[in-house]
Amino acid sequence: MHDSLMQLMYGFSVALQPDNLMWSVFGVLIGNLIGVLPGMGPLSTISMLLPLTYVIAPVPAILMLAGIFYGSQYGGAIGAILLNLPSHPPHAVTCLDGYPLTRQGKGGTALGITMMASFFAASVGIVVMIFLSPLLVRAAGSFGPADICAIMLLGLLAGATMARGSPLKGVAMTIFGLLCGTVGTDAISGTSRFTLGITELLDGVELGGLTMGLFGIADFLVSVNRTTVNPSHAKVRMRDMRPSLAEIRQSFWPMVRGTGVGTLFGALPGTGPTITTFIAYALERKWSKTPERFGKGALEGVAAPEAASHSKTQVDFIPTMSLGIPGDAVMALILGALIIKGIQPGPQLISDHPDIFWGLVASFWIGNVLLVILNVPLIGVWVRMLQVPYRFLFPSALFFIAVGVYSTRNNLFDVAIVAAFGIIGAILLALEFPLSPIVLGFVLGPMLEENFRRAMLLSRGDLTVFVTRPIAAGFIAVCALLVLVQVVAWLRGRRLVAPVASGTT
Amino acid sequence: MNKLTRDHVGGAMLVATGAAVVIAGVGYGMGTLRQMGSGFFPAVLGVLMALVGVALLMTAPRAASAPAESAAETAHLAGPVVQWRGWLCIIAGVLSFVVLGQHGGFVPASFVSVFVAALGDRGNSVRAAAGLAALMTVLGVVVFHYGLHLLLPLFTW
Repeated sequence: MHDSLMQLMYGFSVALQPDNLMWSVFGVLIGNLIGVLPGMGPLSTISMLLPLTYVIAPVPAILMLAGIFYGSQYGGAIGAILLNLPSHPPHAVTCLDGYPLTRQGKGGTALGITMMASFFAASVGIVVMIFLSPLLVRAAGSFGPADICAIMLLGLLAGATMARGSPLKGVAMTIFGLLCGTVGTDAISGTSRFTLGITELLDGVELGGLTMGLFGIADFLVSVNRTTVNPSHAKVRMRDMRPSLAEIRQSFWPMVRGTGVGTLFGALPGTGPTITTFIAYALERKWSKTPERFGKGALEGVAAPEAASHSKTQVDFIPTMSLGIPGDAVMALILGALIIKGIQPGPQLISDHPDIFWGLVASFWIGNVLLVILNVPLIGVWVRMLQVPYRFLFPSALFFIAVGVYSTRNNLFDVAIVAAFGIIGAILLALEFPLSPIVLGFVLGPMLEENFRRAMLLSRGDLTVFVTRPIAAGFIAVCALLVLVQVVAWLRGRRLVAPVASGTT
Repeated sequence: MNKLTRDHVGGAMLVATGAAVVIAGVGYGMGTLRQMGSGFFPAVLGVLMALVGVALLMTAPRAASAPAESAAETAHLAGPVVQWRGWLCIIAGVLSFVVLGQHGGFVPASFVSVFVAALGDRGNSVRAAAGLAALMTVLGVVVFHYGLHLLLPLFTW
């Protein structure tokens, strides 16, 4: 514990270096700015700004990405509360009570409470991260390739089945992502795979191209001419944002409970952020003595889910940084950025690159303080940003995407990849396939294949290593349990539906 | 398109893709479990994908009664799903950046891509689209060319 505190001090010394601090501020600011814009969640924001990280050193790059992440997350809450616009699905539940509050003229209070809840929850999440990560790393020291494979499998399976919508479709998209990851030259044999004879594909699909196609262009294709504009007359001034003491007292326990939900769900791999916020909200409504106020502007209904989403965000970093296994698509992107910077993720990351890990931890705190400092004076600007019409927004965003992807490898072909993945993404969205498992699969794909091949080489082609090694067997058992739960849930749903269906036909 | 056909289309797509991947994977060389060839991992994935597709096809009618959980993502959308003009303009906007970036340079590529994409929205007049395109081009030249030293030349012939 003493050791962790020493390391944390070191982290602060890294994060407070002027250069690192500058990129962190920049990340928070730009993340917040873009996150406010309708239709721009953390995923699209990070993928749009990913190319920027290629030109700077690893430490500031990762600090900037983290800043973009929580900046855009906070920005999303602003859109949800003031405009009833869930630009990022986890905030959909914030709309339920946030927007009614705005209509009652208490939008500023809701934003203030959101800010407090985020800061509180993030702080708790950071503390959990500080103490849990080294423990996890110590445990990971004895992991062999088969164990790592099993853990990755669990992460992928959990990400695919426990998000939202059909678990089967989630699994299908994970596999699609894994396949996208195999495109290019096979590292072991040198065979070129799925390149369709295109030389540019020998190096594989560019991460930025894939994500910007899926989360940028595909979203434009789905939304064009279909966005409804809510004229907002929300006038929020700085002093409106300070909640009264009674309001703070009212939202304190919901904040704590929300943080608890978020921390718990962050620790479970693969549970999506949306499900976390919805559960926090449901719990709060159940807990409340006056559940009828929910949906009509209850501050608790804003505080709890926002706290949950922010604590989950922090806790999500634990498996990402200590095991190299991302819990969700955003984490996968951040991990992808690290890999591009030549940093091998995994249990050795914290000891090999303490500046990255502890600098990141410290920068979370600095970043969250920055968020508070920035948002109070800038709220007027955000409100005006919210009113940028979509018809100007998407062509400009498209332009930034094109330039951003080009600049990654100075290759125009990658821009064409964006268009291709945009079309693929739009088709998949129309068929109600979730897109974020693709990113998870894409980033983990090469690692999974490499570890699987190595595990099989070590065991001389004996597949039973997955059940004879205790760690691997444990994770495989959890995987099996996960599948079993899904099957049981499906069977039960079928039984419930069957009488209804036979009654109507 | 109702939900039933949606899952059928999706399932069929997965089966077809899975099968194609398996064929390609076998072509890359399967090797043995101990010494896997480069086709092994993709082929396994292809088989899994096809299996998921079959499962989706089999469960498709049931899925019609599944709760519309994806509503959160599309809640703010209204109006017809089919938007040919928007679709064409957006894709053409991206591709024009590729083509003009190669054969015209950064300035024409920027202007045309924003202009074409903006025309995809029915709310934009030609003048508004041109205005936005000009603005973004100027901004792009200042930020990316002079600020970040983008390698794409301003004009090439």
